[in-house]
Amino acid sequence: MNHHPARVDADKTVAADPYLSIRDVTKRFDNFTALNKVNLDINKGEFISFLGPSGCGKTTLLRCISGLDIQTAGTIHQGGKDISLLPVTSRDFGIVFQSYALFPNLSIGSNVAYGLTSEGRPRAEIQARVKELLALVGLSDQIDKYPAQLSGGQQQRVALARALALSPGLLLLDEPLSALDARVRARLRGEIRDLQKRLGITTIMVTHDQEEALTMSDRIVVMSKGNIEQVGTPGEIYARPASPFVADFVGRMNFVDGTLIDERHVDVKGAKLAFAQPTGFGSGGRVTVCIRPEDIVVRGFREKAGNRLTMRVGVMEFVGNHFTTVPHAEGTSLNITADLSMNDVRDLDIAAGKTIVAQLPPKRLRVFPLRPDQN
Amino acid sequence: MTAETAGSGLVLKQQMSRDDVIMRAGLVVLGIALTLFVLFPIGALLKKAFENKAGEVVGLANFLLFFANPSLSASIGNSVFIAVVSTFFSVLLAFLFAYGLTRTCMPGRAVFRLIAQIPLLAPSLLSAISLVYLFGNQGLAKSLLMGASIYGPIGIIIGEVFWTFPHAMIIIVTALAIADARLYEAANALRANSWRVFWTVTLPGARYGLISAILVVFVLVITDFGVPKVIGGQYNVLATDIYKQVIGQQNFQMGAVVGLLLLVPAVFAFIIDRIIQRRQTALLSARAVPYAPKPSPGVDRLFFIICLAISAAILIMLGVAFFASLATLWPYNLTPSFKNYDFDNMDGGGWLSYRNSLTMAALTAIIGTAVIFSGAYLLEKTRAFTMVRSAIQFLALLPLAVPGLVLGLGYIFFFNNPANPLHGIYGTMAILVLCTIAHFYSVSHLTASTALKQIDPEFETVAASLRVPFYTTFFRVTLPVSLPAVLDIGMYLFVNALTTVSAVVFLYAPSTTLAAVAVLNMDDAGDTAPAAAMAMMIFFTAALVRILYNVLTQSFLARAQNWRRK
Repeated sequence: MNHHPARVDADKTVAADPYLSIRDVTKRFDNFTALNKVNLDINKGEFISFLGPSGCGKTTLLRCISGLDIQTAGTIHQGGKDISLLPVTSRDFGIVFQSYALFPNLSIGSNVAYGLTSEGRPRAEIQARVKELLALVGLSDQIDKYPAQLSGGQQQRVALARALALSPGLLLLDEPLSALDARVRARLRGEIRDLQKRLGITTIMVTHDQEEALTMSDRIVVMSKGNIEQVGTPGEIYARPASPFVADFVGRMNFVDGTLIDERHVDVKGAKLAFAQPTGFGSGGRVTVCIRPEDIVVRGFREKAGNRLTMRVGVMEFVGNHFTTVPHAEGTSLNITADLSMNDVRDLDIAAGKTIVAQLPPKRLRVFPLRPDQN
Repeated sequence: MTAETAGSGLVLKQQMSRDDVIMRAGLVVLGIALTLFVLFPIGALLKKAFENKAGEVVGLANFLLFFANPSLSASIGNSVFIAVVSTFFSVLLAFLFAYGLTRTCMPGRAVFRLIAQIPLLAPSLLSAISLVYLFGNQGLAKSLLMGASIYGPIGIIIGEVFWTFPHAMIIIVTALAIADARLYEAANALRANSWRVFWTVTLPGARYGLISAILVVFVLVITDFGVPKVIGGQYNVLATDIYKQVIGQQNFQMGAVVGLLLLVPAVFAFIIDRIIQRRQTALLSARAVPYAPKPSPGVDRLFFIICLAISAAILIMLGVAFFASLATLWPYNLTPSFKNYDFDNMDGGGWLSYRNSLTMAALTAIIGTAVIFSGAYLLEKTRAFTMVRSAIQFLALLPLAVPGLVLGLGYIFFFNNPANPLHGIYGTMAILVLCTIAHFYSVSHLTASTALKQIDPEFETVAASLRVPFYTTFFRVTLPVSLPAVLDIGMYLFVNALTTVSAVVFLYAPSTTLAAVAVLNMDDAGDTAPAAAMAMMIFFTAALVRILYNVLTQSFLARAQNWRRK
C-alpha cells in the first residue's frame, strides 16, 4: 500500500509565513541516511519538540539548523534569510545542552556575560543585562558562585540565561532535562515553558521523552528513521496518531491484527468491532487495530453501546493511581491491555477471574494497514 | 553514496567562518613543522641507508656489508640478549614494587613511590657510573661479583634495569590501580584462594599494562646508548655501534643501516602498543567499584621487605655517585671537596654545558608546551579538514616509534646538507631545542589530547553560538581548565631535555655542549668523578624542578583553581 500518512501531515505544516523553513533537508553519513528529505515550517514564537527514539534523526536535524553539521542536500531559511550554508558563528541562535556546558572556571555572572563581553559592550550595560537575565531564571543571588557549587537544575537555568543573553531569534534545547532527576525535571519543564511564552522566543527542543514533549510543546514533530512521521499539537499526536510508529512511541497502545469485514467493520481474533467512520481501505484487507488501554470503558457506556465485549479479567497489576490488567474476550482469542481506574475497580468490585463487560469505543479505535514487517 | 549525489556530484559545503580559516592555517603550519622536523629527517636516514658515500643509490649493499662484518652483526645478538634479560628483570621488579604500592597496606607507600622515581631524574649514564664505583676495577664491592667483570653484559643489564625500572613501575601501577573491587568480592564469595584470585583476576586485569611495560622497557634498553657506552667495555651493542660508526669513523651510511635496524623493534612495539591501547579502553566500565586493599600482615611484611630492598638499591646507586663526586680522590682520599665540580678545568665544556642545558631545557619546555598543547587543541577542535588532521595525528605520534639516536642521526643527514635552506640551524641551540621537542613530542601530545578530550565538547559550540572567537575560549576556558596537564607537559619536557643524551649527542657544537653529553665525554676521557659530579648536578636540577612543580600544583594551583571545589 503506497498511502503513507506521514507525507500528508508533512505537507500540511507548510504555513504562510514561517520563521524557520526547512526544505528537502537530507543528511547522509557514508551509506547511512540520517535525514531523508525533511520538510518542516516553524512559526515565530512557537515551541516545537523533535520527538523520537535515538537514531531517528532529531539531533541531526538540530545540528543542521545550528550549522554544527551541514546537510547533504536541502535548504534552511530563518527569518526569510537563507542560512543553509552559513557557519555557526554567522547564525542567530542560543543553545542549551544536556551537559549544561557551563565554563567551570568562570563564575555564574561571567558565564552569562560570556557572549556580551566579547561583543565589547560597556561594562555597566553588561552587568545590568546579566542581572536581568539571572533574575529571569530566578538565580540573582548566585552571581558570584562557580558552576560546581550549583545543583543540576540551577546549572541548567544558568545555561538558559547564557543562551538568551544576546537575545537570539531562535532557542535550541538539546535534551535539556535528561541529566536531571525526575522531580527537578518536572519543575524545570514548567519554568522553561513559562519563560519561553513570556519572551515569545521561537524554540526547538530535541527530546526522547514523550512526557516532556507533550507538556511543553505547541507542536510536536515525531521522527523515525530520518523521516517525519507526524507533526501536530500534543492533543492530536496523542489522540490521532498518524502511523503505528507514532501510536506506539507516544503513550501506551494495544496493537491487534485483524481482517476487514467491510468498510466499517473488522474481525480481530474472532471479535467483531465497528469503526465510527469508514476506513477507506476496502474489505478483506489485513489491518492493525489500535486502542489505548485507558480508552477501554467498563461502565457508563456511550455511543449506543457498540463494541461491547464480555471479558474475563486477568491478573490485576496495581500501578499506584490505577490498575492494569489484560482481560480476555470470551469466545474469541482476543486479549487486550486495559487500564481501570481505582473507582471502577472499587465500585464494580473487579478482581482477577471475574467477568466484566468492556467497551472499545468506536471513536477511539485507530486502524492502520498491516506493516510489512509484521507479516 | 547513493546514485543521487554521485550523479549530481554536488555535496553542500559550509561557508568557512573566520575561526575555521585561522584554525586550518594553524594546522597547516603545524603540519609543515612536523614534516620538516620529524618526517624529513627520518626520510633522510632511510635514504642514506641505501646510498654509497658518493650519494648514489646502491640498494642493499650497505646492509650486505653490515652482515658480512662479524663484529657488527654480532651486535644484533648482543642487543637482543641485553634487552630481553634487562626487560625480564626490570618488569619483574617493577611488578613486585607496583603490587606492593597498590595492592597492600604496607607502611611507607608514599615514600617508596617517590624513591622509585629517582632514576627518571638522572641521565642513564648515572647508574653506569655508580656501577663502576661499586664493582669496577677499584670498586667497593668488587668481590661480590666473584671474579666476573662489571664491564660487559652484567654491568649493562644492571644499569639498564635501574634506569628503566621507574618507567615500567609507573605503567604497571596505573594498570593495577584500576581494579574492579566487585571481581574480587565475587571471587571471594566463590571461595577462591588468594593464589587463584591472583592468577584469575589480578594478572588478567593487569595484562595490558604488563605488555605495555615490557614493550616500553625493551625499546628503551635496545636503543639506549649511555649505559653500554660507559660500562659496556668491549661488548658491542647496536646503539654504541651507531655512535662509533658516525662519530668515530664518520661512516654515515653504516650508521644509517644500524639506525634502521634499531627502528624495527621500536616500530613493532609502537604498533602492538597502539592495538593494545585500543582494546584496553573497554576494560573498565563506568560502574566499576574501585578496589581498596585490606591489611594482611604476612603479605604486607613481605612486600615491605621487597620494596625496601629495591629502594635501598636505588638510594645506594644515587648515593655512591654523590659521594664519589664529593670525594677528593676516590677511593684513596675520601675527604669531601668540591674539586670535582670545578668543571671549567675539565674536558666536556665546563659549566657552559650546564648553563646550555638549562637554557635548552627551559626553551624546550616553554616552546614545546606551547606548540604541543595548542597543536593538540587545533587537532581536536578543527572541524572537517579530515585529511590534514589525520596526517598531522600520524606525524604527532611518529616520534614515539623513533629512538632518539635514530632521530638525531636523521637530523644530521637532513640539516647538515648544504643544499637544505635550513642548514643554518645546524650547530646552534635551535636545532637542539627543535630535535628535543620532536623527540618527546608524542607522549606530550597524548597527555594534551587526553586532557582536552575530558573537556565538554559543547564549550566550543556554545561559544560559537555566542559569536565568541575560538581563541578567546581557548585562553579564557580551555587553557585554565587544562592547566594541570599543561604543567605536566612542561615538566616532562624540561626533565627529559635535561637528561637526554641519545638524540643530541650527534648535534651539539663546541659552543652548545650539554651537561648530559659532558658526563659522557668526561667519563670517556677518564674523568669519572667529575662525570659523576655533573650527573649529580643534572639530578639536583631535575629534582628541584620536580619539587617546584609539586609545590606549584599543590598550593598555588589549588588557590588559583578554587572553582574545582564544590
